[in-house]
Amino acid sequence: MKLNKRSVAHYALSDSPADHMGFLRTWGAPGTPPTPSGTGRRCWFVLKGNLLFSFESREARAPLSLVVLEGCTVELAEAPVPEEFAFAIRFNAPGVRPHLLAADGQAAQEAWVKALSRASFGYMRLVVRELESQLHDARRSLALHRSMSQKVGASRPKSQASDHRSSGLENGHFLPRDCSPVGAGEGGGCRPGARDLPEWELQGPTSLLLGRGQSPVSPETSCFSTLHDWYGQEIVQLRQEWQQRDRGNQAGCKRQDEP
Amino acid sequence: MRYNEKELRALSQQPAEMAAELSMRGPKKGSVAKRRLVKLVVNFLFYFRTDEAEPLGALLLERCRVAQEEPGGFSISFIEDPERKYYFECCTQEQCQEWMEALRRASYEYMRRSLIFYRNEIQKMTGKDPLEQYGISEEARFQLSNLPRDGRAAFVGPWLDELD
Repeated sequence: MKLNKRSVAHYALSDSPADHMGFLRTWGAPGTPPTPSGTGRRCWFVLKGNLLFSFESREARAPLSLVVLEGCTVELAEAPVPEEFAFAIRFNAPGVRPHLLAADGQAAQEAWVKALSRASFGYMRLVVRELESQLHDARRSLALHRSMSQKVGASRPKSQASDHRSSGLENGHFLPRDCSPVGAGEGGGCRPGARDLPEWELQGPTSLLLGRGQSPVSPETSCFSTLHDWYGQEIVQLRQEWQQRDRGNQAGCKRQDEP
Repeated sequence: MRYNEKELRALSQQPAEMAAELSMRGPKKGSVAKRRLVKLVVNFLFYFRTDEAEPLGALLLERCRVAQEEPGGFSISFIEDPERKYYFECCTQEQCQEWMEALRRASYEYMRRSLIFYRNEIQKMTGKDPLEQYGISEEARFQLSNLPRDGRAAFVGPWLDELD
């Protein structure tokens, strides 16, 4: 299988940020199935996005090996050399042996395991989508607040709006910290992200949104009017709820806020 | 640079964001357009012979440029050698646009810049760091200071248009 290796190597050395780097011990020739015996070989490793590169030394200008951190898990492992702090990158594919690596201290080991286990494209995409929708909500609620305070001078609907939103978030809409997912509750029901919940629970974030024909950042963004209508539905619904509640609380009062 | 082909092959079998049979021509002189199954999986574009499960090759979509060619076609080139282009021909201009859009977004660095942009905007509006509540605000991959300066400047413009 061909790979645009020159571009990959160029990316490895480019000025785009490295997500983690340091010396690690590795067993077996880089890129080939490791043979965990002896003291292994000390190489300089650089994590960039979902790619883990190794180099002969810190100054080396050509990567020795590449591991694409997709569809893999990272876990603590036993090193052939007792004083090393080892971990393994395991692929869920037939015939693929794990990559055994070792740091020279517990803190470095933990930092590597954490960085590697969050390196997948899916994790990044999950955070981006979450922030994208938070930003949109913030803008909508600001606009809504402005229009509401013009009409009614009411701060109350706004506080309900933010309550509603945060309960949506906590209902497992976003799960970066390996906590067990909570089922979709009433709060998240009308948010686009919340509809994805059952599959998130089954597959975990890495496989999230893959294979659904969706572009990495939610496709609605590319067309503002679609996005506007989409979130508009939620706002209209929310407003109706508040108005009903207001009417309920103030039975006998005049209706004061027609949409 | 070595890599394990089995790992890449496994990735190529993952569900694709986009997949279609397109006409594809490599960057070598005299290369002829051939029918290929083209699959976009995360930030890799895999291409296959239409009757084989094993991919012929993969392109990592970091630091690449996606450009419109003659109607219904687009090309992918990489920053270190922009003249070296991979050409693709679609059935319709619409399909072509769809592919170009998906490919432009299919880079980890694009996602990173998007994230930093959203994070900044939210912080400006609400005064709060949106990543704090998840305990991930310290992660290296989310830091603005790690972005190269040109990337920062180039990034903000087009996004403001899209979002406002």
